[in-house]
Amino acid sequence: MTVSDITKRPKFFAKDNVYLPHIVVIEKIIEETPGVRTFHFNFKDKKLAREFKFESGQFAQCSVFGVGEAPFCISSSPTRPDHLEFAAQRVGRVTNALHRLGVGAELGFRGPYGNSFPLDSLKGKNLVFVGGGIGLAPLRSLIWNIIDNRDKYNKVDIIYGARTPADLCFRYDLEAWDKDKTINMVTTIDREAEGWTGRVGLVPNVLGEVAPKAKDAVAIVCGPPIMIRFTFPVLEKLGFTPAQMLTTLEKRMKCGIGKCGRCNIGNVYVCRDGPVFSYEQIKNFVSSEY
Amino acid sequence: MSKKVNKKDIAQLLKEWSQQFNVLAPSRASGVAEMTEWDGKDTSFLEWYRNTVVPPKASFLPPMEEMFRFRKDEEGYRIEPPSKNGQKQLLFGVRPCDARAMAIVDMTFEDAYKDPYYLEKRRNAVLVGMGCTNPCESCFCTSMGTTPTDSTNVDLMLIDIGDYFLIEEVTAKGKELLAKASGLKEATKSDEAEAEKSKETSYNKVTRKLDTTGIKDRLLESFDDEEFWTKTAAKCISCGICTLLCPTCYCFDINDEMVKGEGARFRNWDSCGFPLYTKMPMENPRSEKWRRVRQKVCHKYEFYPMAFDVIACTGCGRCIRLCPVNWDITQVIESVPQKVKGAK
Repeated sequence: MTVSDITKRPKFFAKDNVYLPHIVVIEKIIEETPGVRTFHFNFKDKKLAREFKFESGQFAQCSVFGVGEAPFCISSSPTRPDHLEFAAQRVGRVTNALHRLGVGAELGFRGPYGNSFPLDSLKGKNLVFVGGGIGLAPLRSLIWNIIDNRDKYNKVDIIYGARTPADLCFRYDLEAWDKDKTINMVTTIDREAEGWTGRVGLVPNVLGEVAPKAKDAVAIVCGPPIMIRFTFPVLEKLGFTPAQMLTTLEKRMKCGIGKCGRCNIGNVYVCRDGPVFSYEQIKNFVSSEY
Repeated sequence: MSKKVNKKDIAQLLKEWSQQFNVLAPSRASGVAEMTEWDGKDTSFLEWYRNTVVPPKASFLPPMEEMFRFRKDEEGYRIEPPSKNGQKQLLFGVRPCDARAMAIVDMTFEDAYKDPYYLEKRRNAVLVGMGCTNPCESCFCTSMGTTPTDSTNVDLMLIDIGDYFLIEEVTAKGKELLAKASGLKEATKSDEAEAEKSKETSYNKVTRKLDTTGIKDRLLESFDDEEFWTKTAAKCISCGICTLLCPTCYCFDINDEMVKGEGARFRNWDSCGFPLYTKMPMENPRSEKWRRVRQKVCHKYEFYPMAFDVIACTGCGRCIRLCPVNWDITQVIESVPQKVKGAK
């Protein structure tokens, strides 16, 4: 299921009102980098915790009451439904407030919203994940999803980078994937740093060096916009067609359901029609404001 | 045969409807013409009213609206959904351009995910339209799929025939309104002829025309014409008034307020004219003014037609009348270049 059909997406409205949040409780906080934290959380309503469903790639509107809402992709995998996760970089009003909260604090949560990675069309394919910084968050939902159904997919390459060793997120995942014999894990940092013995180089360059084969492959890219823009040409050079490249886009959002207006790129609403798009779709956007 | 009502009896009619509805009528009490709760007697708007400054969308998507309250106690946060007030609104004197605008906004709020706040108010409302006899110089409704006396999107339509309004029953809701009303008279054949004449006169008074032929494609082809958009946006001061007071604009922001563990989430009108509208911590896809002006024009004349097959502009002329720097949408639309096919 790719939930491209909006009417068929799972809906978990509180009291039939799409804008009312459910209450979720923070169960664990992981300091990923000095500015990024992962929040593990669960629904206060145990019945909802059991029934809630989402797909890798979907996001939710999370709120700190009294401060406001912001969109976060669900970074945990639907194959591990005992709790949910999202990662937040401390950059704005809501994320600053989030970073002041501790375990046990309550948040507002409404979702899931948006489309998801097209799992069905990834089956049997070689998968190339290209991630930068906190951009690994949506990818890791899909990566764990694939690891938990490993026999359905072919080769997996993960090329992940950050500016410095301290900026690498999800280090526990990187270690686990590195040990996984079925995964080719490549971690890189932008510039030489003391104590770093691993690979050095910008993600798009390292991708060019690793040079995954385009045949029967799909590349899934997420990171800072500048990284995404430089990655597509490298993939094209490696023989990937625009249809073989997927990414997930980020925009300022308020409603999450295609009403409030601001996340559009031409006639497309990132919240409702995305956030997952192929580069082919992006190339056909009316606007280049992605 | 239609009914008619003497203009002197409008107050009586509104009084009767007030028993059942919260009647809103044009008023200048705040200093700005808008639809406000009728005071129970004043019908002087029949003399001065051309159109409101604040469009009737404000009755369905208020400038600021409480979405729900929240409260923190020892067990955590509690969400208190808004009580359904069930208040039935009757908007008296809605102009056809604004009624059409409501039908256009409906498409967004009905789409995929239903918007409960807007739709509840819409379902509970009755629109009593009033034909224009004195359209403004800035009006261009006849180019935008409607006319000064178009009854398509209202429940009842009033057509000025001198001392009387001829009343056209448009919907079942409208019919019901009339069935219980007293003081109405049967319209005669000559009243109906008078109404037809009145409509024609009104129609001819709308002198501003806009040719929208092929506009969707022209905009599509000119989307990356930065020179054109920079020129078009040059005098705009990003005040946002053309969007906030546009009857088809519906963009909103969502914000929280909280004092001592009690608070509420609100939504309020927002505008694509403001740089903050799309601002993210690391970047802003529309930090430049020309991009925001392009968004405003293209949303109405290109993206909305792509999504719903209708231009999200009804020619009400507010953005022309109210613009502090005389930016004129009709001039902009006419000046969108016709590109050579294939060239970009």
